[in-house]
Amino acid sequence: MSAPFYKFGLFGDNVSLILAFVIGIGFGFFLERAGFGNARKLAAQFYFTDLAVFKVMFTAIVTAMLGIFYLSWIGYLDLSLVYVSPTYIVPQVVGGLILGFGFVIGGYCPGTAAVSISTGRYDGMVFLAGVIAGIFIFGEAFPVVKEFYASTPMGIVTLPQLLNLPYGLIVFLVVAMAIGGFAGGTWVEKYVAARKKGAQS
Amino acid sequence: MKRPFPLLTLNARLGLLLGLLGVGALVIGNPAAGSTVTLDPVELSRIVQTETDHVSVEELSDWIIRGKDDFRLIDLRSEAEFAAYHIPGAENVQLPALADHGLLRNEKIILYSEGGIHSAQAWFLMKAREYRGVYLLRGGLEEWKETILFPRLPSTPTAEQAAVFEKKKEVSKFFGGSPLTGAAPEQPGRTIAMPEPVMPPAPAAGSAAGGAPVKKKKEGC
Repeated sequence: MSAPFYKFGLFGDNVSLILAFVIGIGFGFFLERAGFGNARKLAAQFYFTDLAVFKVMFTAIVTAMLGIFYLSWIGYLDLSLVYVSPTYIVPQVVGGLILGFGFVIGGYCPGTAAVSISTGRYDGMVFLAGVIAGIFIFGEAFPVVKEFYASTPMGIVTLPQLLNLPYGLIVFLVVAMAIGGFAGGTWVEKYVAARKKGAQS
Repeated sequence: MKRPFPLLTLNARLGLLLGLLGVGALVIGNPAAGSTVTLDPVELSRIVQTETDHVSVEELSDWIIRGKDDFRLIDLRSEAEFAAYHIPGAENVQLPALADHGLLRNEKIILYSEGGIHSAQAWFLMKAREYRGVYLLRGGLEEWKETILFPRLPSTPTAEQAAVFEKKKEVSKFFGGSPLTGAAPEQPGRTIAMPEPVMPPAPAAGSAAGGAPVKKKKEGC
């Protein structure tokens, strides 16, 4: 048995939807348990008082990366069948910035907004209404932005191809970045907390 | 009970594990190299025997209609033949240029030629180069024409045949073909004018994977 299961036809579209639902619920549950259903907690990272979100996201990235790398190495995962979304560099940078602004202003990203609604938070509901309105506007305005949307296509690129470096080296560099990020993040948290204390007294 | 690393916090131990795995990755280098068997004849013949390397024309047409874009369709015929007709979304690559076409080992690649011989030969060449997700279009373009573009209803169809044909007609129309009814004795398919490809042809040979003309099906978050 080899992964990805869906691509190897282990189950069809219907089962994949059920699995997506189960995984989504699990994802939401752990986001909530990590405190990410709270906009204050999420926004705290932008004030450098609590970098939990940054750390959790980076943890998710390195866990997934190492999992994929080693599973592929063992021969359990067929990397050739793992979907990589195509890169459109400029539209994606702009999209990322819009998402970032929304995150800072609203205190949520779309996933965490859904999580916060599950615990009955009104701000999450307002945020998700905004998300849906944004999707609607984008959909209606799509003919206008269509050209931009598909501009600067780079196809399916991965860092090893783009930088022409071995996979393992990229993995190592990202791991080094993550360890640096975790240590640096903790240091920043302590630094900001100490300064706050100093300012109060 | 004495802990193995009494001086380290849980975070530090996890960080250490992370670092070790990172260094391990550095040593391993290419993850696919370890799991790729370089030309195992038994494995290859098993694939050939069980036809797991085949994609039927029905499957392919279904994928194109549904806008799947997780594969690259390679037309191995000559440029002139390609210009005359090709399956929507296909890229024209001549056999000798296949290695330099920028196909990635982690892509699902579907090969087709007029019949099936060239694509089968190309399949082996690709396998020899450690391309893993290489597939053949069963029956090649001939099968595509007969089944998808110009499906034929037998002169005295059973109810089941008629029902299947109704579906085939829709598929055929999508690809700009013309379904044929009755067992007309004239040469099928090839004598009839080939349709223009419904969707714009794929970018010229040599360009990267992007710009697939079909609608995107989003995966990921």
